Amino acid sequence: MHLDARRRILTDPWFLTGAALLGLLVCLAVFGPVLMPWDPHDTSFTPLDPPSARHWLGINDGGMDIFAELLSGLRNTLIFGVTAATAGLVLGAVTGLFAAWKGGWTDQVLMRLADIVLAVPSVMILILLAAFLRPPPWVLALTLAALTWPTTARGIRAQALTLKHRLHIQAARHMGGSARYIIFRHLMPELFPLYLINFAAKLRMAVFMEASLAFLGLFDPSQKSLGLMISFALKYYYMDIWINWLIPPVLLLSFLIMGTTFVTISLERVFDPRLKTAL
Amino acid sequence: MRITINKLTVQYTEEDHSLLALDRVDLTLAPGRITALVGESGSGKTTLGKAIMGLLPDNATVQGEILLDQDNLLDFDEARMNPVRWGTVAMVFQNGAANLNPVHRLKHQVAEPLIQRGTPKKEALALAETRLTAMGLAPELANRYPHELSGGQVQRGLLAMGLILDPPVLILDEPTAALDAVTKSFVARVIQDCRAQNRSVLLITHDLDLAGALADEIAVLYLGQVMEYLPGRHLMERPAHPYTLALARAFPTMDAVRDLGGIRGDAFYRMVHAHAAENGAAHVHTHVAAPDAYHEGGHAPPEGCLFKPRCTQAVPACALGQVEMEITPDGDHRVRCIRGGIAKILEFEQVAKSYGPVTALHPTNLTLMAGEVFCLVGETGSGKTTLAMIAAGALSPDQGTRTLQGRDMDGWMKKDPASLASCIGIIYQNPAESVSHRLTVFEIVAEPLRIHNTVTDEAALKDRVCAALSDVRLSTSPEFLKRYPHELNMGAIQRVCLARALVHEPDLLIADEPTSALDPSVQAKVLKMLLNLQIEKGLTLLFVTHNIGLARKVADRIGVMQGGRIIESGPAARIIHHPDHDYTRTLIRSARGVNPSRPAVSSPQ
Repeated sequence: MHLDARRRILTDPWFLTGAALLGLLVCLAVFGPVLMPWDPHDTSFTPLDPPSARHWLGINDGGMDIFAELLSGLRNTLIFGVTAATAGLVLGAVTGLFAAWKGGWTDQVLMRLADIVLAVPSVMILILLAAFLRPPPWVLALTLAALTWPTTARGIRAQALTLKHRLHIQAARHMGGSARYIIFRHLMPELFPLYLINFAAKLRMAVFMEASLAFLGLFDPSQKSLGLMISFALKYYYMDIWINWLIPPVLLLSFLIMGTTFVTISLERVFDPRLKTAL
Repeated sequence: MRITINKLTVQYTEEDHSLLALDRVDLTLAPGRITALVGESGSGKTTLGKAIMGLLPDNATVQGEILLDQDNLLDFDEARMNPVRWGTVAMVFQNGAANLNPVHRLKHQVAEPLIQRGTPKKEALALAETRLTAMGLAPELANRYPHELSGGQVQRGLLAMGLILDPPVLILDEPTAALDAVTKSFVARVIQDCRAQNRSVLLITHDLDLAGALADEIAVLYLGQVMEYLPGRHLMERPAHPYTLALARAFPTMDAVRDLGGIRGDAFYRMVHAHAAENGAAHVHTHVAAPDAYHEGGHAPPEGCLFKPRCTQAVPACALGQVEMEITPDGDHRVRCIRGGIAKILEFEQVAKSYGPVTALHPTNLTLMAGEVFCLVGETGSGKTTLAMIAAGALSPDQGTRTLQGRDMDGWMKKDPASLASCIGIIYQNPAESVSHRLTVFEIVAEPLRIHNTVTDEAALKDRVCAALSDVRLSTSPEFLKRYPHELNMGAIQRVCLARALVHEPDLLIADEPTSALDPSVQAKVLKMLLNLQIEKGLTLLFVTHNIGLARKVADRIGVMQGGRIIESGPAARIIHHPDHDYTRTLIRSARGVNPSRPAVSSPQ
């Protein structure tokens, strides 16, 4: 069962491709800026220099090294995505579990709240918030989480409800296990695959959202991010420089989204009971 | 004539210690009554018979009194005792031919007491021959030497010998041991005749069937102490002391439907020792000659109940003080047990449960005694599982009170649900579903201990888990402990579940169709093991099954359920052989596969 799942995951080409992409990008984001000799905020180079041996991707219009900027942007984008995904997952999982466990009135209230939040267009809220309040990125990430938890909450609640009535969980209750014990020892670990799926899905969405907001110019321009780079580079699309300036961030962003998508698809195929065909 | 034994204590002295064979035994033999003395070997039965006859060896110290009407036999010297022996009190010894002189013909030995008392030899021999013929021994057999006779013939001869002087008191020591059924029933008839002839009969036997059928009163002896006095007819059906129950369960009868069960542990005799204690002073204490797991270092409990180490319902208080005889509430029994005999583990009073308009369980009364296996039998939807789950504390009844170990379950559940749950173990119908697929065998069995925080130390936890696993005959190797349920077969998973249910030593085990997911051969194994464990651990078992054929092999008592009611309940043998209710008869018939309305039908599933 779960061992089978592990084996199936580890032999799934979708998962392997996605995980390889993600792994590579995460390594770049973590170690790249450390190994990079140039500071991405250093403006002392000749603006719009083409790629050379010293500056692999050349220099942008502000006199900064594009490669350094790229690595730093990747890191910030990933931090944004992971923050939003983690916060959304925790919020959703806790709400879903709590609603499923308590049932009745609590369940009703929480699920109606989830419906309401789902009806709110999150892109619009974020655009308005970013445009008018200019908050730091982590506030935006948390806001995104606050708008995306209901999908997770619903999925987790549904699964927890069926789990709650499974015999082995009932058996643990008959043994005298407290609510705390059963939730922490049985329900939460049992739902582990769902966390993975939801995390990957939310990461993909958050990364995409960050790029969009930055592209729209709604991000603090002094920050480094893949979206901002695309947005700035587009101003010089008529020059040759777009090859070394525009394409790299677009590619990285695409790989990031592709990687998470592949992993999500693979995880869902193996774990999500709704997609599971007769085994 | 009546024999009254008061506080009879017999000790055999041997070098530096002595054996305590009888410990303050009271017994009355009245004319026209059969009193039976039962108990395991070494419990002191024969010593009692010999004490009455004044035949105890020289190293025996006797205290108390044995009154023959008014006279204390213990005060008699040999000269006064001799006419009493055989004339007033005769004994039929055990071990058949070993009691006869091999160089004399049977007839001569039977006539010997007559001849000694002055009857002319010819007359005596004639009478002996008549008596032997009456015992079913033809004259040519009466003329044989003991070694030419079969065991049954010798026993008949010994009976004739015991009765030759028409003694008013007859003591029979194992008169039916090693006899075939036909001779046995003949001996039983002779004993009944003795009662009709107004003799006082003491029947010493370990044949409970015989004792139960013949005796007016039975005394159950354990290590020299009487544990229970009860009417003979109650022996198999309604024993009040756990020891009597265990004896009855161990004895094969034609009626018993359940498989035999032994009594856990062993005990042979008690030794009174005097040797230096830790503080240097000589210190007298009692030993039980059976150094096993149940008697630590071979020591009998210094005080408290003798049977405690082997008892299945022992509580800490059992180890304290002297346990005195008490009359049971129904007045028929006297038991030596501080819990007043076999305790009630679970009691339901008018317990009912409905789901909306559907009544799953009508008001029901149910009592489970400690150490018994109670089977709920009935078809699907008859309310068996509802009843079992209410007993398990997993469901709450709509009305009625349920009591576990004398404590109200509902109140208990409100106050301390965890400790209530720790008193109950449950085995479910579907073993694979009842364990988490994420947990290893070790984690599954350790779960109750973790929940109740019984064992905090990881090494002790491992010991408990391994002990539980070896109880259910599963491997305790590290590889096996790391296995996941899906790597095991159904039978093994159910045994893991059993280990999990037993690991915190519950008082009550509830098994809801525990073997219905297993194939017959595995089922047989699991059931055998379950019953062995039930005896070893003294579990009270509520066993739910739709299969009356299975219930028959497992149950001490059976309750038949139909439409949310227990329509009939009682000892398994009675329910199976003499069912009162039509539905029970139908169940039994369909289990046999013969249904009169339809030519051939298999048992209902």
